[in-house]
Amino acid sequence: MPSLACHSLPRQTMLDALKGRWADRLLLLIILLSIASSWFIIQANIAAGPAMAEIYHDDTLLATYPLPQPGEPSITLQLEGELGLSDIVIDEHGARIASSPCTSQRCVLSGSHKHAGDIIACVPNKILITLRGSSETRFDAIVE
Amino acid sequence: MTPFSLPRPALAELENKARWLALLMLAIGLHVFEASLPSFGPWFKPGLANLVTLLALAMMGPRAAISLSIARIVVGSFFIGTLFTPTFIIAMAGGLSATVVMIAAWRWFPGLSLVGISLLGALAHMLAQFVSVETLFIQQSALYYALPPLLILSCISGWINGALAEYISGRLAHEET
Repeated sequence: MPSLACHSLPRQTMLDALKGRWADRLLLLIILLSIASSWFIIQANIAAGPAMAEIYHDDTLLATYPLPQPGEPSITLQLEGELGLSDIVIDEHGARIASSPCTSQRCVLSGSHKHAGDIIACVPNKILITLRGSSETRFDAIVE
Repeated sequence: MTPFSLPRPALAELENKARWLALLMLAIGLHVFEASLPSFGPWFKPGLANLVTLLALAMMGPRAAISLSIARIVVGSFFIGTLFTPTFIIAMAGGLSATVVMIAAWRWFPGLSLVGISLLGALAHMLAQFVSVETLFIQQSALYYALPPLLILSCISGWINGALAEYISGRLAHEET
């Protein structure tokens, strides 16, 4: 097979393959640098301010809730999505979808999220929860 | 003398078809296996089925790779019960764009080994998943906030899959010569 010969040498060990060629490593470096810089830009934009959960259905923002501190009561709400009702719980551990009418249940299984930039998406029911702000900020505000 | 006889295809052609079908079976098996793995998170899979697409590209060329990835996603989704659901559309968008990007890298960047090609494919898969979810299901650019950490996971899995493909295709070439 001629096409194989130009891509790989015979008798290559798995370790050799894992090292890659210099062009592969250069590509990886460029990609990692661009991912890291975009991550910093995103975090700088959304990590400021108190921890909040934003709840969307389709393309409309339905509600924004601050994450409760330990000891504060949790917030439970029901949302009507494309398929039916999703139960959302926001407590000191973050926001989660407690039950969903979708078949895959991936949104429920993904559990609680509280870090800025985390998302919980239920694609079949068209529900999205995004987290922004940091949970530490509120403590700082109290101490000051 | 037989009453009628079909023209027999050339042996090389039959061999090619058999090899493509063997790769397809492997890819479908891995697709179903990946779906049954404990979830690494709702957006992330190791991409073993895409590894077979990459092998098809290296061993049989672009046309075999494209047809293999389409056939694998359709038949695989049929088995796991997601055919024509949103999951299927997202998988198809991801699989096809990964294949197209890998073919482009294979053709135009001869300096890259299968490792670099697989890396680009994994990133294309992740990006296409997000773009298709954003345009078709949840029209919120807030979705992209979650992208950078997932792209780093994609880099890791793409690199390892590429090394596996490099190793496997190297071994296959060695055995055949």
